[in-house]
Amino acid sequence: MPQPYLLPEDKRLLVVIPALNEEESLTRVIGNVNAAVPQATVLVINDGSTDKTAAVAKAAGANVVTLPYNLGIGAAMQTGFIYAYENNFDFMVQVDGDGQHNPNEIKELIPFLVADQADVVIGSRYIEDRGYITPAPRRMGIIILAQFVSLLTRKKYTDPTSGFRASSRKVIALCSNIYPSDYPEPEALMLFHKANIRVKEIPVTMNPRYGGQSSITPLRSAYYMVKVMLAIAILTIRKRPEAFV
Amino acid sequence: MTIDRLTLLVVITALALFFLVLEMVRRRALAERYSLLWLLVSGGVLVLALGRTVLDNIIFMQLGITYPPSALFSAGFVGLIVIMLYMTHVITLLSRQNRTAAQRIGLLEHQLEELKSSLDVTKNE
Repeated sequence: MPQPYLLPEDKRLLVVIPALNEEESLTRVIGNVNAAVPQATVLVINDGSTDKTAAVAKAAGANVVTLPYNLGIGAAMQTGFIYAYENNFDFMVQVDGDGQHNPNEIKELIPFLVADQADVVIGSRYIEDRGYITPAPRRMGIIILAQFVSLLTRKKYTDPTSGFRASSRKVIALCSNIYPSDYPEPEALMLFHKANIRVKEIPVTMNPRYGGQSSITPLRSAYYMVKVMLAIAILTIRKRPEAFV
Repeated sequence: MTIDRLTLLVVITALALFFLVLEMVRRRALAERYSLLWLLVSGGVLVLALGRTVLDNIIFMQLGITYPPSALFSAGFVGLIVIMLYMTHVITLLSRQNRTAAQRIGLLEHQLEELKSSLDVTKNE
């Protein structure tokens, strides 16, 4: 059993788990988060689930915000940022509700924020080969997308769709205000670029999902990629967020 | 000025649109600010219908379009595109406001639950 991570005493961490019909995996995910970072507050954003997601999360001891209907992952995450901002959290980590992210690696992300070396730390599956198996077409799509985002932001990214991210107070403030809703993970990288946010990618190990379905089926991958790239290209003309120039 | 059948038909259509819009506003089926747009459209159709010879001349002389109906079609087409763009703009604003409201409902409900349970704790003490 790995050692739990201990935060600096004056820092508060919020772990946000966006969940849409994740009753099968949530108990395990929340349990793992509590074991890995016992001081953290866990917040599940129940994005209009039709199963027992909210009850399961409450039973596992998490705070639960239930959205009145499905708003999509971007708006769900933004709800987490708003909560973190209004409740004065210093850091926020996003952990997927399906069990793909390893809560034990939260301790790899947070130290860069504590040391103020980055404002956003992203766990990437593809910096080192740690045995995470991606179907070839999707891997190809992610490589193209990564190249595209790297080109537009002039910064190297390997895993632009990774949702395993830690944010500083500065980014919490920004994202509670403006957060992309259509393809939030890659689009947020453009937002960070525009707002001069320091982003760092570090290698992590991801698991196969515990249960449920991926929101991106292989069939939709190509279509998804074209849409994302168009959306990101459009974002380059968008105004800089004013408070962060 | 003689009024031919076609002109009469168009005038009647324009007036029908005009009164339909007014009726919808009266029944609160259309917001005032959007009604203005549609009243302008019906007014425009009316003017075009009554001033057809003038219009024909302008189109022919100024734009060099020899077949006036095609000018009318393209004007109508452009008008519709502008209206649709405006509608998409309105939808964008609405969905953003809707998102913010839904997020707030979720957050407030959570806060309410926490308050209630802390009240229960104090009651039981």
